[in-house]
Amino acid sequence: MNRRTFIKATGTAILLAPALIKEALAAREQSLVAVAEGGDYAAITRKAINAVGGMKRFVKLGDVVVVKPNMGWDRSVRFAANTHPLVVRAVVEECLAAGAKKVKVFDNTCNDPRRCYVSSGIEAALKGMKGVECKHIETERFRKVALNGAFLQEWELYDEVLLADVYINVPVAKHHGLSKLTLGLKNIMGIMGGNRGYIHRNLDTALADLNAHVKSHLTVIDATRILTAHGPQGGNIADVRVLNKVIASTDIVAADAYATTLFGMKPADIPVTVAAYKRGLGEMNLDKIRVVRA
Amino acid sequence: MKPTAARICQLILLALFLILFVQTEYRGRDDINAAVNSFFRADPLVLFSYLLAAKSWSWLLFPAALMTVATLALGRFFCGWICPLGTILDLVTSKIRKTAPIRALKGNFKYWLLLPLLSASLFNINLSGLLDPIAILLRALTFLFYPVLGLASREGWVGLYRMIGERRDTLAPAYNLIRDNLLPFRDTLYPLALLSTAILLGIIALERFETRNWCRNICPLGTLLGWLARFSPFSRVPQALCSDCGQCRQLCPTSFDQDVLRKEECILCMECLQGCPHERISFRPALKLKGCGPLLPERRLLLGGMAGGLLLALPIRFRYPEKQSRLLRPPGVRNEDDFLKKCVRCGECMKVCLKNALYPAAYQAGLEGIYTPLLIPRLGYCEYNCTLCGQVCPTGAIPSLPVETKRREVIGKAVFDKNHCLPYARKIDCIVCEEHCPIPEKAIRSREVQVMGLDGRVRTVKEPYVVEEICNGCGICENVCPLETKAGIEVFAVKNRTPIPPSTAGQEESDKKQQNLY
Repeated sequence: MNRRTFIKATGTAILLAPALIKEALAAREQSLVAVAEGGDYAAITRKAINAVGGMKRFVKLGDVVVVKPNMGWDRSVRFAANTHPLVVRAVVEECLAAGAKKVKVFDNTCNDPRRCYVSSGIEAALKGMKGVECKHIETERFRKVALNGAFLQEWELYDEVLLADVYINVPVAKHHGLSKLTLGLKNIMGIMGGNRGYIHRNLDTALADLNAHVKSHLTVIDATRILTAHGPQGGNIADVRVLNKVIASTDIVAADAYATTLFGMKPADIPVTVAAYKRGLGEMNLDKIRVVRA
Repeated sequence: MKPTAARICQLILLALFLILFVQTEYRGRDDINAAVNSFFRADPLVLFSYLLAAKSWSWLLFPAALMTVATLALGRFFCGWICPLGTILDLVTSKIRKTAPIRALKGNFKYWLLLPLLSASLFNINLSGLLDPIAILLRALTFLFYPVLGLASREGWVGLYRMIGERRDTLAPAYNLIRDNLLPFRDTLYPLALLSTAILLGIIALERFETRNWCRNICPLGTLLGWLARFSPFSRVPQALCSDCGQCRQLCPTSFDQDVLRKEECILCMECLQGCPHERISFRPALKLKGCGPLLPERRLLLGGMAGGLLLALPIRFRYPEKQSRLLRPPGVRNEDDFLKKCVRCGECMKVCLKNALYPAAYQAGLEGIYTPLLIPRLGYCEYNCTLCGQVCPTGAIPSLPVETKRREVIGKAVFDKNHCLPYARKIDCIVCEEHCPIPEKAIRSREVQVMGLDGRVRTVKEPYVVEEICNGCGICENVCPLETKAGIEVFAVKNRTPIPPSTAGQEESDKKQQNLY
């Protein structure tokens, strides 16, 4: 090796090193998606959570936890427009069992909040649980947050999420007119205030901006029944398919990517997933995701 | 106020009125069992104007028929025992020093008010609600006092948050109790709030001249009840002031400014009976109809009243046509003329509306439609599964429909404005309207088209369109349209409000049963 080749080699190595190290690290922390199946929705929710390390991995003693289901629509449980109350309840129970001081469950609803909280069955499912709050959104709690994203410079976000120790994202898997599917990444719209319809004009980038700022420590996707058309609101039982599945992952992109396959689509078909993957928020290549059946 | 039976009854019913008023709101259940509409359903003025205008019978108003019979039998007890506005006047009148009565209001002024109102009903315009005392009270409460209470409480609560932040949560249980049981759910401002309140305050200000000034000289409901009371067999004995005492002149809140008790003005408050130092007074049935007099105090009243009604009913029907395109009525109202015959403009639908979509018409429906409810989608939309306005309407002007039927009732039809709507005007994606459309098959759909963007590059955009046949005009699309101020989609009124066809999948039939599982 002469001096010239040595300099060339070192130079190349220095240039490539960050990427190589990143690649090596990424390879070590391969994205894990747990899928549990069964008719007992509370049980499969627990199984899925345990398969990704159990709730104690995320929730420490005395933590304040936000569990954010999708409860945005005035539809009853079977229409798959909102997260199944039994799934939500099981997640909340796991948080409490792991030592959470307080678990807050809410959504900035699309229909009237009172009707949504009732029709979704979630308010009733959590009624009387100690240390659990299921309040309507209070607008004064929205706080302007600098996102410095590619599309959103700043937006009003709900301060209970910003102040929480743990943020658990519990969407229901369903069809959506604009983004094709709405899963974990899009569920974050429920913590936005203001004129949030605004972000539809550049939804993929905006959701990447938001999810880059507010990380879901754990994503639990309710696919006990999925809405395959006329989403995100549905209302037609013929559009609903019962799958009896719950998906859990710490990698929100991987969770979404796997859930996409339940609709017979590929993760690359969903621009929201692609944008988040490109932003480095998680893995969307199914062959790089480890899927475990819990 | 001394605690006589009448006083106690008045206070209980005023409290009931206020409780029912607060209860006229969604509180977690689809049905409202008891609402403040009970008072209107027992209101003979509402009954008479409804009968004359709609020229048909409604069982909703059966209590008012009973009240009519009771008044025929007993007299004008409604005013002294029930009317919440009368109670409020009784509560404040002692604080207001009196000058002399207004001469212009004496004589037959009140008949000149009542008869044209009733005869206008005959000519298909039901205006009685404008001067109905309960409606006046309810409108002032709904449009001003209740929103102010809500706003003030909420502002205080928000201010506390600004001061102490999260620590406010320790006080939350107390506030929640008030919020869930007393406060309005949403802060809403209403047009005509000041006018509505000015009318109520004006009535109170009339107490400056004499007690129960409104009741004895103006109130059309009181006048009607007084007219019915003339046929009651009950009368006070003695009829005239006793020559050796005359105490009744001080005790009586309404009638003894003359020497003889006028039966149509006696509200049976029993003040004279209880206050008589000689215990001479009694109320007892007499077989002979004494003091009944002619049917009307003046013969020309009938003719003049009819003419007045006609004059009232026709010229005010003028409407600006361009306002009509956005005149959206509550769900289930299919015919504007029919609606105007039945609506008493009490404001209950606006009070109960889940999304605060209903507002009193100020000018949109012409002079004839003042205070009638109007849906303004940009402020609130009609919630798909909600049937509350029909439930509380005292006359069925807004029909009470099962939810499956109500979902199909047409309020209007949505139309895109392609100069504003983003996918058309700016060639970018949006589709918030389609997302929110509650029709299971989606009355707003979109198709992917290749368009040239404003930057000159060809791209794929989802262009929305309305499937008019299944659009019920609920207005959620216009409400959520993310454009500022003017929406890119708007709901316009239609004449033909034939319900949209039932959903193809018959999907929602067992909704309720399903909900009970959780």
